[in-house]
Amino acid sequence: MELFLPIAHMDVNIVLILLYGGLVGFLSGLVGVGGGFLITPLLIFTGIPPIVAVSSGAAQMAGTASGASHLHWRYGNIDFRMGTVLLAGSWVGGALGVYLAKILVRLGQFSNVVVFLYVVLLGFIGVSMLIESLRAIVRARSAVDAAGAAGVPNGTGAPKSTLRAWVARLPWQTSFPASGVHMSVVVPLVLGAFVGAMTSLMGVGGGFIMVPMMIYLLKIPTKIVVGTSLFQLLFTTAAVSVMQAGVNHAVDPVLVVLLILGSVVGTKLGAQLGTRLPGEKLRLILALVVVAVAVKMVVTLVVPPGEIYDMTVELR
Amino acid sequence: MARLLRCLVLACAWMLCAPSQAAEPLVVVPDTNQVDIRMDFAGKEVQAVGSMDGPADVIIKVVAPQQEATLSREIKLGPFWIGGDKVKMAGAPSLLFLYANRPIDAILSPQEREKHGLLLEGVPVHVEPAIPTQAAGEWRKAFFRIKEKEGFYREDDRAVQVFGNRLFIAHMSLPGDLQTGTYTMETLIVRSGKVVGRDVAHFRVRLAGVERWIWNASHDYPWAFGSAFTLAVMLLGLGLNAIPFRRREEPRA
Repeated sequence: MELFLPIAHMDVNIVLILLYGGLVGFLSGLVGVGGGFLITPLLIFTGIPPIVAVSSGAAQMAGTASGASHLHWRYGNIDFRMGTVLLAGSWVGGALGVYLAKILVRLGQFSNVVVFLYVVLLGFIGVSMLIESLRAIVRARSAVDAAGAAGVPNGTGAPKSTLRAWVARLPWQTSFPASGVHMSVVVPLVLGAFVGAMTSLMGVGGGFIMVPMMIYLLKIPTKIVVGTSLFQLLFTTAAVSVMQAGVNHAVDPVLVVLLILGSVVGTKLGAQLGTRLPGEKLRLILALVVVAVAVKMVVTLVVPPGEIYDMTVELR
Repeated sequence: MARLLRCLVLACAWMLCAPSQAAEPLVVVPDTNQVDIRMDFAGKEVQAVGSMDGPADVIIKVVAPQQEATLSREIKLGPFWIGGDKVKMAGAPSLLFLYANRPIDAILSPQEREKHGLLLEGVPVHVEPAIPTQAAGEWRKAFFRIKEKEGFYREDDRAVQVFGNRLFIAHMSLPGDLQTGTYTMETLIVRSGKVVGRDVAHFRVRLAGVERWIWNASHDYPWAFGSAFTLAVMLLGLGLNAIPFRRREEPRA
């Protein structure tokens, strides 16, 4: 069953695209990531031009995140105050990222920087989460660490204490009751800006950066992180989708609708499973996916390519 | 089938009426002069019927409109393969098919092939920015290699069937990701290694129906289109989410 995509200007297998959407939706509902780091490479691998893959991926994430956000809102998993601050930061960071991307493109180093960012960030975050979640699962099973029942790892080293003390001295200390934390607005604002910059550079929603940062740095319970991350993701990807359509004419509506139809089923399954699974297991699943993508990218970088030349054609 | 029959009748009628001329009389009629790309488009087979005066070989060249391409090359830096330099390849058609009734090398000498532009790698493609000839040659070779590998530059020596030394039918298979624009179909008849007849026909490839509407909207009003579509997908996500998603209990017998 083939369908012609008017903007990508090629025919695709409907079932394959629905499956991609389902897979990404499942991850989205389960662990609160948009799946941009997964959907973009999958679409490019299918032969869809990279700019269409990135742009349509953003639009699909906006659609999926709206549904998933609604579900998490009903489950009471969104901290709107935290989400709004993160969003404000991510918009500022996103604008700075666009400017940085422009400079890198001019220097001819954009794609190399993006690939290394993917490998370093995904590798670091994935491995850190993997180790921590495995430890948490072992702890939960042996029931030794009763204090860690909140599902948030406790830092014990001197550097982390120093950092916490420094963070506590920052201005504009605010309470975020839904997340159960009290901290300076500057922290989520800077985190949002960092994620926003990465979004512009890497063409992803930023959930795979945001989720671990909120869990480990801001010490917010995993379930609130998932809902709040989706809330922030919804508005970030919506803005990217509008800009990509406006500037590059690269959002393919047929592709996006197919991906969303697939992702709706996946999102519901993911969200239902997510409410039943403990936080450390959710983190383990996200960690495994992130590590798998990082390993795949390292392999791509190290294994000699069959064809060293690559061709992209102008869309018409 | 009906279109093919119409082509046959047209070709025969034309043949009967054609005044005698120095070159071999030849007429070729494609079964369509317009290929519409709609939602279900996944490539199309265009057939062409032609008539000729006596035994000969037939070569058909299908050329698509030009399409600018960017070619990049990976380089090795330490243990990593990373993106290196890139160039633009301009002036080459997006698609070039050579169809014949037997291997073209057995029909024409290399010189004749070159003279009539019947070499897949003979297309004049310009490397931009201008670089030394040897380096440009490497980029050109890579360009043709990729085009052939992706099936956009192709030679098929079984696509043309000749019947009774007078009529021929060509089956031309066009891929799904066609460039829009006017395509040229040049037919040559060859006798004793020389081209003795030539005919040129055209057909148009265009987006049609919803596909055309989407393309026009996304290019004529990109910001309005982007905003409206993004809002629509957000509502779609919400709407689909509101659909109950529970397993129904199977009625008990």
